[in-house]
Amino acid sequence: MRPRLWAGGGGRELTLLAGCLGTAIVFSLASPYFLLAANLATILRNSIELLVIGLGMTFVLAIGGIDVSVGLVMGLAAIGVGHALLAGLPLVLVVLAGPIAGALIGIMTGSVIVFGRIPAIVATVGLLGIYRTAIYAFLGGSWLSGLPGALTALVRMPLPGGVPLPLIVILLLYLVAYLLLRWTPFGLHLLAVGQDEERARLAGIAVRRVRFLAYVASGCLCGIAAVSYVGTYRNVEMTTGASMSLDAIAAVVLGGTSILGGRASLLGTMLGVLLLRMLVNGLTLIGVPSLWQSVVTGVLLLAALIAENVTTGQLPWVRLRRPVA
Amino acid sequence: MRNPHHRSMLLLAALWLLLIVIFAAIRPAILQPSMIQSVLQFSSMLALVGLGQALLILSGAGLDLSVGGMVSLTSILTMLLVRAGVPAALIPALALAIGLCLGLVNGVLVVNFRLLSLIATLGSMFAYGGLALALTGGATVSGVPSWLLPWGRGTLAGVPAHFLTTVVPAYLIAAAVLALTPLGRWIFAMGNNERSARLVGIPVGRIRFTLYAISGLLSGLAGLISLAWFGSGRPDIGTNMELESLAAVLLGGVAIAGGRGGVGGVLAAVLLVVAVQAGLQYVNVSSSWQLGLVGLLLIVALTADRLPWGLRLRAKG
Repeated sequence: MRPRLWAGGGGRELTLLAGCLGTAIVFSLASPYFLLAANLATILRNSIELLVIGLGMTFVLAIGGIDVSVGLVMGLAAIGVGHALLAGLPLVLVVLAGPIAGALIGIMTGSVIVFGRIPAIVATVGLLGIYRTAIYAFLGGSWLSGLPGALTALVRMPLPGGVPLPLIVILLLYLVAYLLLRWTPFGLHLLAVGQDEERARLAGIAVRRVRFLAYVASGCLCGIAAVSYVGTYRNVEMTTGASMSLDAIAAVVLGGTSILGGRASLLGTMLGVLLLRMLVNGLTLIGVPSLWQSVVTGVLLLAALIAENVTTGQLPWVRLRRPVA
Repeated sequence: MRNPHHRSMLLLAALWLLLIVIFAAIRPAILQPSMIQSVLQFSSMLALVGLGQALLILSGAGLDLSVGGMVSLTSILTMLLVRAGVPAALIPALALAIGLCLGLVNGVLVVNFRLLSLIATLGSMFAYGGLALALTGGATVSGVPSWLLPWGRGTLAGVPAHFLTTVVPAYLIAAAVLALTPLGRWIFAMGNNERSARLVGIPVGRIRFTLYAISGLLSGLAGLISLAWFGSGRPDIGTNMELESLAAVLLGGVAIAGGRGGVGGVLAAVLLVVAVQAGLQYVNVSSSWQLGLVGLLLIVALTADRLPWGLRLRAKG
């Protein structure tokens, strides 16, 4: 059996693409600023961290796991990057500090879930509390601000053709992830574990190692997102990344990756992130206070899940007209 | 110590003992009768929310991450309705009805739309909690009538009035239902093996739906207590309650997969969690440390019967 990278033959991706276009049309009618190049650039800019964290979340959901602490992992890794900057380390080390810190936290998350044999949702709710306290402890209740601009120059560095560096990095990360899922045993194992853990174990797959590695990869990606975050905003505060976990889960689920595991869509994750960020941006433009963001995201997540169950005919009390096969 | 339930209870007792010893060592003044009263005062809301959570986990129906959101949204919506002209005399009924409705929404999502409980209540947690903040812009809503305040702040026979009138009866009823009625048997049966429970004719879906409604109702009651206690609706009152209630339920010996545990242990664990927080507050440790400690307690509770600790020594025979 080949791993399926596209949910249902690309139907989900097309729906999402249509959703993105529809959202863009509605908001461009509602606000004259929406389609301005500067605003579109802002949407892309605001998507960078979520695109990277969402990629990690895609792996985690693909194995049938979940992680509600990813946003705070980015926050913690950002503190690491910030301190590396303040210490005046060479830029290479500053950039590496993010993924290394993220991977270390990912090792912790993965160990608790996989080796402690705790359901991922409960474990990560507990870790969320611990990571929040850790952020508080590291920051001492204040901000990490006034960071040197060395990283900012790197993040903003335009490459030939005016393409920003982070975009290239993201495309490379997604390419690597695609190759990993599509062409390596690890990718096959990842989806097999997500589809049926017991069967995967009987087939000789090192289930625990695969699950552990998925969490480590997710942590590492959160760390990469942290590098971009610090480079862009040049500060780290208590709430950094706090809303990112729900955003990531919602974007990935919107993208057609199954919450039950065994099915992942990288293209869907990308489109899910874009749709989410466009919605938030558009709502802000038409004057909706930013406090409504988590309401919109939460409702969108629930709506996507309901729509999936309705359209796949899992609800006995909903009758859909089906084309004759 | 083969019985995992005994192991959990032993862990809970050990943690209680540890807590008392630590406090006695660093600040003996903390062990005074008035401290018991304030722990009870602070524990009512978590006890109610934790009871709903415990019943859901016991039945193997998954969990309810939205409890904190329901508490916040109940207190906000109640006060907004009162401000909009609904008679203040209806506040208790309003709070209970709103909590019940929010719980019913969760029930519909999980039972009728067949969403995984963790992701359904994760979505509603953010929707409810976000709505409470968004409707008020983060501000508190005042206007609680003064006749409600004595219930939230006063004591009856030395025990906080709301603890005596809500938590005590709620836990007694829950314990009686679990021990004496068919519904109680069914909840344990569902938790042990849902498929076989379904096959012997237990109305699994309906019970699950009811338990989500009960969780909402108890969260509404907790929201009502917050109104009577603070005299205003606070949009962030339920923040982190999902973590605290999960920690209390699992420390209280309820198995995460369902089918094992009881409400007595949950109440003891709620009091432990609140006592830890109150103690830290007493010695002026920032509330940010409390959260991490509760998270740690949650993970310790879950690994207690997994790791090969001393407790796992197998007695022969």
